[in-house]
Amino acid sequence: MLTSQDFLFYFLALISVVFGLGVILYRNPIYSALSLVITMISVAFLFGTLDAWFIAGVQLIVYAGAVTVLFVMVLMLFDLKHEMKTFSKGMIGNGIKLATSGVILGMMIVFMWSTYATEPTFKPIAADATSSVEPTRALATSLFTTYLFSFEVIGILLLVIAVGAVTLSRISGGTHHAD
Amino acid sequence: MGKDTFEIVVNILKMLVIFLVMVQLVPVLVWLERRVSAFMQNRYGPNRVGPLGLIQLLADAVKFLFKEPFFPAKGMAVMYYGAPIMALIPGALALAAIPLGLPLHLEPFTWLGHDFGPYDFLIQGYDFGVGIVVVLGVSSLGAYSLLMAGWGSSNKYSLLGALRASAQMVSYELALGLSLVGILMIFNTFSFYEIINQQVGLPLSFNFFGNVTTISWLPNWGIFFNPLGALIFFCASFAETNRLPFDLPEAEGELVAGFHTEYGGFALLMFYIGEYGHMMVASALMVTFYFGGYSLPLVPTEVVHNWIASGSLASHPNWAALLTSLLFFVVLLVKVLLFLLIYIWVRWTLPRFRYDQLMDLGWKTMLPWALFNTVLTAVWLALSHKPA
Repeated sequence: MLTSQDFLFYFLALISVVFGLGVILYRNPIYSALSLVITMISVAFLFGTLDAWFIAGVQLIVYAGAVTVLFVMVLMLFDLKHEMKTFSKGMIGNGIKLATSGVILGMMIVFMWSTYATEPTFKPIAADATSSVEPTRALATSLFTTYLFSFEVIGILLLVIAVGAVTLSRISGGTHHAD
Repeated sequence: MGKDTFEIVVNILKMLVIFLVMVQLVPVLVWLERRVSAFMQNRYGPNRVGPLGLIQLLADAVKFLFKEPFFPAKGMAVMYYGAPIMALIPGALALAAIPLGLPLHLEPFTWLGHDFGPYDFLIQGYDFGVGIVVVLGVSSLGAYSLLMAGWGSSNKYSLLGALRASAQMVSYELALGLSLVGILMIFNTFSFYEIINQQVGLPLSFNFFGNVTTISWLPNWGIFFNPLGALIFFCASFAETNRLPFDLPEAEGELVAGFHTEYGGFALLMFYIGEYGHMMVASALMVTFYFGGYSLPLVPTEVVHNWIASGSLASHPNWAALLTSLLFFVVLLVKVLLFLLIYIWVRWTLPRFRYDQLMDLGWKTMLPWALFNTVLTAVWLALSHKPA
């Protein structure tokens, strides 16, 4: 019997898979980016069905609300006709693309096959979940105590990326002529 | 959703009612906007149709419905028609996640020969627990409606308007989110109900270096704890809702009408409903965080409930509970409407920013001040909560 929880899961999973395919199958980059948005949103609500509303909200704010908006904005500034033409011509280029994605897909299938060849086993939810601490508070506590170092290192990594992006944009030459 | 049919039906109806409240408040706000602007500019405004021009709204609705549907020659149908629908969704979802009244507790009762068990209903679409994170996440999706409209119309003015709009929304979301960090640290929770419960009915009391100072004539509202955060949040919410002085996406003087240049009739109306929905969400958040949510200042909810239960109107405890929830819903509505009035007031008072001024204000002024507010609050909390 399909419970409402199951239905919600299969529905959201179907949406995220279909639009995930849309990301790579659409010729028009704008449609690809918008498919990515829908995938992000359905993944966020999948987190929600697991009662991880904090992660769901953060997924919506960061990925769907900020990162992909920037993607779409940048895509809208480009001349997409040129993009679409270069993206879909040339036998050798297409061959390389197909071969690369085929290799990656094969690796994923082999990995999943070897992991779940036997009956899939799911780890039981951590014992913390039953305690009275709210999940968000537990997440914050472990993030700022146990994993503080890696958290801060990732912060510095993001700072380095931002500085690097600014530096790259200031270098003259390259694909864009300096004014 | 609920343990029996009655509860499920009520919960579904609740979502519907919240959506309808959002949609039905829009004509009232449009009327208010016109009358207030007319008042401020020494005009009369619409005053011919019905008393005070109130029926003007119906006439407008009829006009919107009967306009010719128009589709631009090179437009993209999916995006062009999807954008107005997308404009409604974030506002409605975010509004459904905000508590709109005191939770309703019903004792067991008999109705139409059936027994119904005790129920607890939230006057809210759905309680996410981490309410504010979900509200911010959902309302950040509003940018897509503008982008889809701008791109789908295949019009330069629309595209420019949409790009401006999304850049503005993304920039000001940062200041908006950061300005809330201070108040979240003070209340020490993400849940709307806990935030409101800490503000209900109590007089203002500070914990100042171990000494508790109480000011009996002020309510225990967030604005007194974090006025800087409230100011930044309120300013950033103007930019988020694309209202003057931040209405660069529309900028009818420069961009014809921005992202909705190619829209008319009902589709245009849906964009307006989305915009007013965002304003309602922003006002409701402002009220919830800084002005005590649905609570009455200095009056605990139990006092109100007992007062209603002792009256002759409420013969049954369930009626008393229902009336109390309704009263607190009206209190919230009044508070939200006051803020909406301020939105309208500001729109007809301030001129529009230039685009570079807008970006400077967002990134170089509001963001640093919001960060400063966070640090200040953290230092204050660390100092004032020193164990005695």
